[in-house]
Amino acid sequence: MIEFTINNQPVTALKGETILQVARKTGFYIPTMCYIEKTKPCASCRLCVVEADSVDGLILSCQTPPTQGLAVTIDSDRLQQERTNIMRLYDVNHPLECGVCDKSGACDLQNKTLEFGISAQHFSAKDQNRKIEHWGLINYDPSLCILCEKCVHVCNEIIGDDAITLQFGGYKSAVVPKNSEKLDCTFCGECIAVCPVGALVSSQFQYSANAWELTQIPATCAHCSAGCSLTYEVKHTSNSNGAKPKIYRVTNNFEVATLCGAGRFGFDFDIQASKDNELFEKAVASFKNAKAIRFSSLITNEEAMILQRLKAKMGIKLFNEEARGYQSFMSAYSSVSGKSAFSGSLDAIAQSDGIIVLGGRVSADNPAVRYAMTTAARHNGARVVYMHPLEDALLQNVITQMVRYEAGSEEGVVAMLAQTLLKNCDISDETKGFLDSLDDGYLCAESNVGDEEFDRIAASLRRAKRKTLIIGSDVLHHKRAANIARLCGLIEKYSDYSLVIIPQNVNTVGVSLICDLDQDEKISDVVGYNAKGDFIVGSLGEYDMALPSLNQQEGTFVSLNYQLLSTNVAVAFEGYCLNDITTSLGVKAENTIDYTVQLPTEKGFKAVEFDALGNFYGPLGEDNRGYQLETMDCTIDGVLEEIEDLPEFNGTVVYYSNPVNQFNGYTARTSQLEHDTSLRGSAQFAAAARLSGGERIQIEGANTVRTFILDESLKGTIALVPTFDTSFGGLPETYRFEKIKLIKVGS
Amino acid sequence: MQHNEPLNDRNVSEQSPYFYVDIEAYPTTGWDKFKQVIKRSFKGELFVGLWVVMREMIKFDIHTVQYPKEKLPIGPRYRAVHKLLRLWESGYERCIGCGLCEKICISDCIRMDTKIDENSRKEVTEYSINLGRCIFCGYCAEVCPELAIVHGQRYENGSEQRAHFVIKDDMLTPLDWLTSGQQAEFPGFGAITPNESVTKTPLAY
Repeated sequence: MIEFTINNQPVTALKGETILQVARKTGFYIPTMCYIEKTKPCASCRLCVVEADSVDGLILSCQTPPTQGLAVTIDSDRLQQERTNIMRLYDVNHPLECGVCDKSGACDLQNKTLEFGISAQHFSAKDQNRKIEHWGLINYDPSLCILCEKCVHVCNEIIGDDAITLQFGGYKSAVVPKNSEKLDCTFCGECIAVCPVGALVSSQFQYSANAWELTQIPATCAHCSAGCSLTYEVKHTSNSNGAKPKIYRVTNNFEVATLCGAGRFGFDFDIQASKDNELFEKAVASFKNAKAIRFSSLITNEEAMILQRLKAKMGIKLFNEEARGYQSFMSAYSSVSGKSAFSGSLDAIAQSDGIIVLGGRVSADNPAVRYAMTTAARHNGARVVYMHPLEDALLQNVITQMVRYEAGSEEGVVAMLAQTLLKNCDISDETKGFLDSLDDGYLCAESNVGDEEFDRIAASLRRAKRKTLIIGSDVLHHKRAANIARLCGLIEKYSDYSLVIIPQNVNTVGVSLICDLDQDEKISDVVGYNAKGDFIVGSLGEYDMALPSLNQQEGTFVSLNYQLLSTNVAVAFEGYCLNDITTSLGVKAENTIDYTVQLPTEKGFKAVEFDALGNFYGPLGEDNRGYQLETMDCTIDGVLEEIEDLPEFNGTVVYYSNPVNQFNGYTARTSQLEHDTSLRGSAQFAAAARLSGGERIQIEGANTVRTFILDESLKGTIALVPTFDTSFGGLPETYRFEKIKLIKVGS
Repeated sequence: MQHNEPLNDRNVSEQSPYFYVDIEAYPTTGWDKFKQVIKRSFKGELFVGLWVVMREMIKFDIHTVQYPKEKLPIGPRYRAVHKLLRLWESGYERCIGCGLCEKICISDCIRMDTKIDENSRKEVTEYSINLGRCIFCGYCAEVCPELAIVHGQRYENGSEQRAHFVIKDDMLTPLDWLTSGQQAEFPGFGAITPNESVTKTPLAY
């Protein structure tokens, strides 16, 4: 605790806090242009200057920590003069195109110019001929740019793309793509979000609406399990009668939260339908006759609850292999760790200084995890160990050690990892016996990870204080998932690692908590809800009856942080919803959200009404979204099994992984995201599979024809196959590595 | 300069031009009332007024405005149905789609849609005013930074539908009007006087 004064008022700072942070926390206003809470200070605007008694000059409050007893003055004539001059310089030759600028009305420069009363240009400079850049989804107008560097900092420190940089040249300075002509990045669009002026804008949104015309609807992203907060911005489409509103753009609270490209640009997946009574009767009849309902985890908690009630009332089965995989993984995990949930979270990852990632292509599966890892690496200098059969070019700036194991050998790898991480921990004799009895030689040889690599992991993470182990979704559907889960439970229980197990879909966690799922059987009379079935309802794939998609429903999700998050209706849906069908079947509720308060408290939910749930961040970044589920204590009765012989994957092996920004059938039908459905493999894979780039191929058993692309950034003999484009999208409900046969289709 | 108007003495006196009109006492009895009716009916007073009309008609010096053939000029500040103006020099629409009129409209009756056009400029695709709600306050014209939306002079709002006045195409000055110089300008801050000196501004310089 450091005690000092701001404007003669006593304040206290925590260690590591800057003067600006303390001032904001205690309600003092210091103007800034380039400051963004989640990155290191850019220190480019110099608007946050303050005076201190011990220093002659002015100091930058954004990057200066206070010292004991310091007397800080944040407003004086001298400071006002200084700040006014800075604003005058910002306004030099700034194009007076507020009338058409997208940012007008929500522009930091506009606000500050009015705040400081700059009504005339006091300085002059010869204007430059600056060309507007078109970078795909992003347009950049250098003449509007004030060079605050927020975009560069966010891209580098939070996202990890490191795709843009500042080209210094005095008055000619501009933001340029780093090391390339055209912008080559994952198109998260975070640079657009943080841009305080209209320099970086979404090319599709540009000039289509003004900030104040849009209705803002707070919601939760429906694409991956991170459950990022976003705001759908909605406006009418036309002046003519009956024109429906649509989503114009998605924004986020960029000061504290981050959004990936799928969330930001993949918003137009809503569908439309009308109330067709005949079809409705047919749907009700098929629900009545159904022996089972198969559904996907792209569903709200409330609807999952409806299905669970339906199961209880009608005695039907519920199929959802993907969530069942997660459910059984977590129950095996809890049977060892004694807790119903893992202790890690996205925040924990971002704050850790030692991270191990195992069994998942996080950059594509869950960008929020990747961003948290980047933040940890950039801000805490975290050591990041990435363990996966495939290297990931997007993570190369972040990871400090790459450990490649053989596909299928996860059980052995996790066992060896447990042995490494629990070496000096206080563990039970039984566990010790188990770990000691591991056949190191066999496991290392078969998994292709040497002893020395585990030693290196131990050595590099020895100094780390806050450590996280991230378990990807590869292991969830592994043949030996239960034992892997127990081993993970072991690490959670005895080591100082906090675990994060990444679920695949937006509400995998919610479904696994709410529904009693049955093992999928190939039976007839199955109603599919966004899944295969004899009668399909929903908004994905080829459905028989349309139900609202996830941006047209209100309801809640449970994110991978075990946080209940609410989402709202961005665009109205005029057809029927699941609640209408089930109400006529006897599971009655007026609205779907009536179930929010009834979510099972024994699983950690709280009896909170939907309308009482918050969905916003406070001014200082406080998370006021939904509520945190309670972690329940579980009986510890899990027994570790012997490690089975590790399977071998030889021949043509593929890994089911979507390209960045693609997740499921929803993202697949959005207009802005790239829809790359090609099979990508390295030169080595091409040689093994006797393929050359550009050839049309088909995987035996699947009916999608894909192009093979020779990807220079890939190594090894495993190719990547996207799944978002297949009927319902989403990753398969089986182990993600598969030995397949490729059939060439024409040329 | 101080201007003093002499005070008119409106008191009735010998000097003043004011005098009491000689008004007969109102009849009180029934007989008197009857006499008054007879007197007024047959005295021919009726024709006095008709004669005035006839005299004026024969003189052919008529002051009546022959509406609707003829209309009185209307003050520039009169707030009638809106007009969207064009730039004199290029014929482009003045409206840049800033949306300020939409924002300021207190009866929330303006609605517009914009898009980016092929020259990377903001283009107004739709513009409409709901006259059923418009209270003709004039804020839209006042806030417009481009003098694009103004209140026109057209006060005749008789139509089958109010919407007939307030679709963009109806409000916008037709190009042939512009070339023939029929676009009315409204004096005020920033207003231009159309003449030869108004030329197209080059975009790049």
